[in-house]
Amino acid sequence: MKAFNLGKKSIFLATIAFSSFTLLGSIGLTQNSAFAQTKKEVSKPVTVTYWYWLDDPSQNTTQELINKFNATHPGVHVVGRLIPSSNFQQTLINAAASGSLPDTSRFHDWWVGQFATNKLLAPLDSYRQHWAFNKDIAQRYWNTGKTGTNSPIYMIPNEYITFYLYYNKAMFSQAHLTPPKTFQQFQTDAIKLTNPAKHRYGFAMRGGSGGQDQWFAFMLAGGAEMVNNQGNVVINSTKAVSINQWYINLFEKYKVAPPSAVTDSYAQLLADFENGTVAMFAHHIGSYSLLKQALGNKLGVIPLPQSNPKHPATLGSMNGNVIFNSSTNKAADWTWISWLSSPAAINILDRSVNAQLPVLTSVAKEPYFQNQLAWKIAIDEESYATDWPPLPGVGAVSGHVWQQSMDQALLGQVSSKQMVDTIATALQQSN
Amino acid sequence: MSLPNLSYLKNQTRKNKFGPIWYIIPSTIVVAGVIGYPVIHAVILSFYNYNPLSSSLTFVGIANYVNIFGDSVFHQAILHSVIWTLGVVFFQLIFGLIGAVILNQSFKGRSVVRGLVLIPWATPSVLAALIWMWILDDNYGVLNHLLTQVGLSSLAQAWFSQSVTALPSLMLIDLWQGIPFFAVMLLAAMQSISGDLVEAAKLDGANAFRTFWSIKFPIILPTVLITTMLRIIWTASYADLILIVTQGGPGYASLTIPADAYFTAYSDLNYGGATAMAVVQAVVLFIVVIWYLRLISKQGILEQ
Repeated sequence: MKAFNLGKKSIFLATIAFSSFTLLGSIGLTQNSAFAQTKKEVSKPVTVTYWYWLDDPSQNTTQELINKFNATHPGVHVVGRLIPSSNFQQTLINAAASGSLPDTSRFHDWWVGQFATNKLLAPLDSYRQHWAFNKDIAQRYWNTGKTGTNSPIYMIPNEYITFYLYYNKAMFSQAHLTPPKTFQQFQTDAIKLTNPAKHRYGFAMRGGSGGQDQWFAFMLAGGAEMVNNQGNVVINSTKAVSINQWYINLFEKYKVAPPSAVTDSYAQLLADFENGTVAMFAHHIGSYSLLKQALGNKLGVIPLPQSNPKHPATLGSMNGNVIFNSSTNKAADWTWISWLSSPAAINILDRSVNAQLPVLTSVAKEPYFQNQLAWKIAIDEESYATDWPPLPGVGAVSGHVWQQSMDQALLGQVSSKQMVDTIATALQQSN
Repeated sequence: MSLPNLSYLKNQTRKNKFGPIWYIIPSTIVVAGVIGYPVIHAVILSFYNYNPLSSSLTFVGIANYVNIFGDSVFHQAILHSVIWTLGVVFFQLIFGLIGAVILNQSFKGRSVVRGLVLIPWATPSVLAALIWMWILDDNYGVLNHLLTQVGLSSLAQAWFSQSVTALPSLMLIDLWQGIPFFAVMLLAAMQSISGDLVEAAKLDGANAFRTFWSIKFPIILPTVLITTMLRIIWTASYADLILIVTQGGPGYASLTIPADAYFTAYSDLNYGGATAMAVVQAVVLFIVVIWYLRLISKQGILEQ
């Protein structure tokens, strides 16, 4: 019986000891596996989603950059999604409405007002201060990511464009003309180069989709302002009405643009210029490689003609990158979008078919960009280029208001004053 | 002799009466979820001021409806929608009917031709839009080139850039795409007509037109009416072509209700106003469809 009791005690103690051992072991195991898991999570790269568009999707330069980044940054894994440029803003709006925005995205400067006002964009100032290339980007470029003088910076600059003028050297030579420097010379040359019977026109006017950039570039070159120093919308000022009338007259009165100009967009303008139907085409560096390939030595590039050459102006526009407030990996997001604006990425992007002007001063000074006339002219224009104002109403103006009112003005259905009044009203609306 | 107990038959009848309901419940749930919920959501949204970027909802009652009915641009959009829908469907029906009659004849290579005529219908909208943008291009378009070649250069013009020609040019593209659908649907109906009926009509001395009008057409009429109704709904809601080719322009010359709603939603970020426009169109279409169904139901066409 004693033996039985001892045995029972022994079994009891053994059970306790075993249980304790097992429990401790389990805890130890659990701790070990938790440690292992944490270690695994740490070593697992943070995924950053990135949406982008390409001006020339035939070569996916951005995917090349993503691959290069992923190969050199083991802690961050970028997953890109290419979206057609025509649907990009709509896709972003749908994603915002359904709470499915990506972590980061390529962005136009004129969307910043619309998205930042609605608190969808993360401020980048604290990241920017510690970034190695912070001072290699001019302050005026950083300002394109702001919504006002005292606003935070919501967009890191990546690529810039300025509007200049392409001209067909052969057509100018045949007509014994020199490239225009002033509005008056531009108008005179355009009239002389126009011969509707032969389907020849002086100027490729863009009244269709996307034409607001070309129009705004000429408005600025004429001396008009969209917003004055006090932040008031003044695109319907007396001066602006008169410059707008001059632009309308090019089509309506002097007929130096094809009749289809009312609805012509980029594809039509490109075809017209490449085929010698039009002699002058206002665009930016984004189309340079394509036009150089098509026209060779016939392609000429000059700064945008000015109403007053002593006070030049043209349109500049920034494409940058943003982090959405909904992202939970903002440090990793910044690692990615700041790398996109570093010399390593800019030198790849701006030497590809999707090239625009480099935002890094050090890169812009490189011989590749300084020794080619088109690049040099575009970079020189940066000093006097003005961007679209960061107003929420710019989305509506560029979306449809400008096009509809411009069409009506070109067809004589509304006056120059009515047109710019419509645009001013849309700009003043806050979304 | 006592009567047999028939109560079990009553139970059976009750079961049979409610039995089919169980079978339609799954599809009802799917339809309610996929169609019902978005429709109700859109109707509710039309009474709110909703900015998709801020997700803020403010109840504004019927203000969105008051605004759109007071907007002259929306009035133009209504007019263009009516012209667009009725014009396109009418000509698609006429040319589709002619196409079906031709394809119903015996000729060499008929099977190949029947397959080829479906190409426009199978062509994606974006592709069709791009093809026709260049066919009707002012400077390089085939149409203007042909007109010039045959001495009608005065008719060559910028088809999409003038108020009077923009909407008809878009209608032409949609006609090209939609005629094959009508033709194939009506051809299928024609092929169900018994050869004996046609033979009997011929023996009675009916000519080809008389045979078609008195024998064939009444038989294919239900297909004509159902196909027409479907095309009215589809065409009224179709905005891709307009958005790609003219964006509703020049000015507002080709702006229809769906295109207007698109710009209101995505450019102006006024989802309330856009859904109000969509609701107006949906109500009008609903009334037209109900009237149409009642009309053809009264004539017993649906039962044929």
